[in-house]
Amino acid sequence: MAFYLAKRTLSLLLVLFGLAILIFIIARIVPGDPARIALGPLATANQVLEMRHEMGLDKPFIVQLWDYLSGLFRGDLGKSFLTSRPVMQDIVGALPATFELVLFTIILQITISIPLGVIAAIYRDTWVDNISRVISLIGVVTPGFVLAIILQLVASYKFQFFPVTGRLDAGIDYEATYTGLLIIDSLIDGRWDVLGDALRHIILPSIALAAAGIGQVMRITRSSMIEVSGRDFIEASRAYGIPERVVRFRYMLRIACVAPLTILGLEFASLIGNAFIVEFVFSWPGIASYGVRTILEKDLNAVIGVVLVSGVFFVVANLTIDIILGFIDPRNRLREGAEK
Amino acid sequence: MMEPILDISGLNLSFTTYGKRTQVLHDVSLRVGKGERVALIGQSGSGKTVTMRAIIGTLPIPPAKIEGGVIQFEGRDLLQMAKVERNRLKGTGISIIMQDPLLSFNPVLTIGRQMDDIVRYADVRLGSKRNSGLRKATILDTLQKVRLPDGAQIYDAYPMMLSGGMRQRVLIAMALLNKPRLLIADEPGTALDVTTQKEILKLLNQLVKEENLSLLLITHNLGVVREISDRVYVMENGHIVEEATRKDIFEQPRHAYTKKLMTSVLPLYGKRVRNFENNRQSDPKIEIQGVTKEFRGKVSFFSKKYRVVRAVDNVNLQIENGDIFGIAGESGSGKTTLAKMLLALHSPTDGQIKIDGRPLSNFSNSREFRRLIQIVYQNPGSSLNPKRTVTQALTVPLKFCGYDSTQIKSRISELLDMVDLPKSYASMYPHELSGGQKQRVAIARALSVNPKILVLDEPTSALDVLIQNTVIELLLRLREELNLTYVFISHDLSLMRNFCNRVAIMFRGQICEQGETREIFTDPQHAYTRALLSSIPVISEQEEQQKPKVTDAERQAVLASSTALK
Repeated sequence: MAFYLAKRTLSLLLVLFGLAILIFIIARIVPGDPARIALGPLATANQVLEMRHEMGLDKPFIVQLWDYLSGLFRGDLGKSFLTSRPVMQDIVGALPATFELVLFTIILQITISIPLGVIAAIYRDTWVDNISRVISLIGVVTPGFVLAIILQLVASYKFQFFPVTGRLDAGIDYEATYTGLLIIDSLIDGRWDVLGDALRHIILPSIALAAAGIGQVMRITRSSMIEVSGRDFIEASRAYGIPERVVRFRYMLRIACVAPLTILGLEFASLIGNAFIVEFVFSWPGIASYGVRTILEKDLNAVIGVVLVSGVFFVVANLTIDIILGFIDPRNRLREGAEK
Repeated sequence: MMEPILDISGLNLSFTTYGKRTQVLHDVSLRVGKGERVALIGQSGSGKTVTMRAIIGTLPIPPAKIEGGVIQFEGRDLLQMAKVERNRLKGTGISIIMQDPLLSFNPVLTIGRQMDDIVRYADVRLGSKRNSGLRKATILDTLQKVRLPDGAQIYDAYPMMLSGGMRQRVLIAMALLNKPRLLIADEPGTALDVTTQKEILKLLNQLVKEENLSLLLITHNLGVVREISDRVYVMENGHIVEEATRKDIFEQPRHAYTKKLMTSVLPLYGKRVRNFENNRQSDPKIEIQGVTKEFRGKVSFFSKKYRVVRAVDNVNLQIENGDIFGIAGESGSGKTTLAKMLLALHSPTDGQIKIDGRPLSNFSNSREFRRLIQIVYQNPGSSLNPKRTVTQALTVPLKFCGYDSTQIKSRISELLDMVDLPKSYASMYPHELSGGQKQRVAIARALSVNPKILVLDEPTSALDVLIQNTVIELLLRLREELNLTYVFISHDLSLMRNFCNRVAIMFRGQICEQGETREIFTDPQHAYTRALLSSIPVISEQEEQQKPKVTDAERQAVLASSTALK
C-alpha cells in the first residue's frame, strides 16, 4: 500500500509540474503585452518599458520561466495588477470559501446519488426507478446557473427559506480561524448560530452545483449495480444463505461503486468550471469570483494562480479517489504495488 | 430403493419475459437417495440449470414462476416452506459448488472473509454463535478436507492470487463449510484443464464418502458423469426423457436423445475412432525452425531488472500441404502464442517461421500475407462485432482484397453457400444467430480472402457437442473443396484424435512429443502426454482400459499441483 501511495503521489507532482509549465507558456502566447494591459491605453511607451522591466518581461523566455518556477516553489505567484497584492495572498484569502463549497457539493453528490442509484437498481423497472430516472435526467440537462437562478427565485425570494446570496449573514460577527471552513470552525468553537447560518447559505449553491453530477453518478451506480448483480459470485453468496442486505451492500456495492467514484473524479473538472458561475450567481466570496474578475481584466499573474489552484484541486481529488479505490478493490494496488 | 433426501415430483416452471410466457420445465420428477450420486445431464438450454436454481432457491421470481409440483427435501416441501425456514437450509442443508472457479469469487474480498461470512450468517440463521477464532478453525479444517494444506495463507489471499485448480478446491470447501447433507455440483471442473479436472473429480468422490453426502451433479459432459455418478437423469427441452443407472445409460441407452448424446461424444479409442489421413508429400506450407518467444516484464517501475517468461521455447515443426495439424496443450503451454506468431501478430524472439516457403520477414506486403493465412477464433460471440450484420462483417476483408461492390455481393452469397447458411442470413446481426451459425459466419469471413492456411483456435469449444460435430464436418468438407491446410489449436484431445492427421503436444513452451495422431494416442512416449491422455474422461470401460498408464510419481513430476501455493 505504501508503495502504491508513493507512486501515485509522485505522478501527482509530475502532473502539477507539467501543468505549471503549460499554463505559463499559454499565458505568454496570449496576444497582447501584459505590461500594456496592466497599465491601460493611456500609459506612455516609457512607462510600459519600465513596467516590462519591473515584471521581468524583458528577460529571455527561459529566464522568465525559471523565475516563475522558483517563485512557485517559494509560494510566490507574483503580484496582481488588479488588487496590487501578491496573488498568493488573494488566493489564500478566497480559497477556503471555494473549498468549503466544493467539498460540501461532493459530499452531497456521494450521499445522494449512490444510495439513490442502489435503490433504483434494487427496484429496477418499477415506478421508483422511473422517478429516479426523471430526476437524474432533469439534473443532467439543467445547466448549473439556470438551476442556481431558479433556486434563488423560488426558495429564497418567493418562500424565503434560504438567504439569496453570500456565505454568512451580515449581522453575524465570526472569524473562521482554524481551517477557514465556516462549518468546521464553527463546530470547533461551538458557535451553533454560525453553523446553522453557514449551512443555510451553502445549501442552495451546492445543490445547483451538485445536480448534474448527481444525475450522472446515480445512473452509473444503478447500471453497475445491475451488472454486478448478474455475476456468478452473487448467486453463490445467495445460495450459501448470506442475507440479502449483506449481499447488496458488502458484496455488490463494493464493486459497483468503483465506476461512479471514478466518474466523480473526472467530473471534478466540470464541477470547478461550474463553480465559477454558481459562485458568481450567489456572490459567494470564493476563488471563482476572483478568477472571473481577473480573467476579464487580463490580470495574467492572477489568472495563472487561479488555474494552478483549480489544477491542484482536480489532481488532489483524483488522487484521493485513487486511494479510496485502492482500498475498495485490492486488484488496483496488487497490480501496481505488491509485486517485488 | 433407498430413502430419498431430495424428491422432486411434477415440477412445472415458466418464465415470463416481455409479457410472453414460456414453459421451461415440464413435469420434472427426480429423486436423489441418501448417499447417492445422481447426475442430471443435457445440453445447454435443456433446463438443468433452472432445475438446480429451483432447488437451491435462487430463481428470480418473477420472471420465473413455479406453476406446480413439489420439491421435497428430507420429507419437507421446499416450495411450501416459510421463507425463514427455507433460508435456514441454504448452505446448511443444501449447498452448491459453483461452476466457474474464476468467476465465482468476489474479487475484492479475501478468501477468508468470504468463507467467514458463509459460516457467520449460517450461525445467525440457526440462532447459534461462534467466535471468530472458532469460525476460522472451522474454515481451516474444511480447507484441509479439500486437500489444501496451506490453509492459513489461503485464508488471507485474494482470489486472483490462486491458481484455477486451487480456486476450484476452495469453491468445494465453501460448499462444505456448513456441513450440508445434499451437495449440488454445477459442471465441476469443466472450466479447468483435464488433468486438474481429474483430480477434482477424484476429490469429490472421496468427499461424498468421507462426509456422507448425497450428490446431485449437473453437467453436459458424459465423461464426467461416468466417473462420478450412480444414477443418471437425461433432460431435453425441460422434460426428463430417461432415467437409468450409470451402467445402463452407457451400455444400453433407450431414448433417442440419449443415444444422440452418446454418439456425439468423440471416442478416444476403439472402432468408432475416425482416422484422418493426409497423403503427405514434401510440400511444406509452414516451417517453424527453432522458434522461441520471450515476454519481458519489468519487475517494478524503478528497477532495471526484467522478469523473462519463455512462452515458446525452441519449437520445430513442419506442416505439409493438406495437413490438419493439431497443436495440443493445457492453458499456459504456449500454444496460443505460437499461433499468434504464425499470423505475425507476435514476432519470434529467436528462430524463423516460413509460410509457403518464404520467411515471414519477407512478406513486406502484408496484404499478400493476409491472403495466405487466416484465423478462426474460439468464441464467435466475441469475435464478431455485435453491431454489424453478416454482410458488413464479410465486406471488410473483401474490400481489403480490392473487390468492387458487385463482386462483393456475389462473393458473399458464394461464401454463405460454402458454409451452408441461407442467403437470407446476410442481413442478420450476430445476436439473431445461434452459436454454430455464428461460427459458420466466422469461418466464411476467414475464407473470404481465399487463404491457403487456416489457423483454428479452439473453433468448437464454445459450442455444444451436437453443434460441434456439424462444424467439424463443415471444416473437413471445406478442406477437401478448397485444398486448405489447417493448424488446429486445442486442449480437446478427443476431438484432435478424430480430426487431425498429425499432432504436437506442447508442454511448458516446448513440443514434448509430435507425430502421427494414431501413434501418439496409442503409444505415447512422454510422461506428460500419458498423464494428459489418461486424464480425459471417456464414456466406456473399453476406452478406459486402452488409456496409457502413468504412475503417480510421473504424474507429480509433470503436472502442476493444484493443492500447493505457487
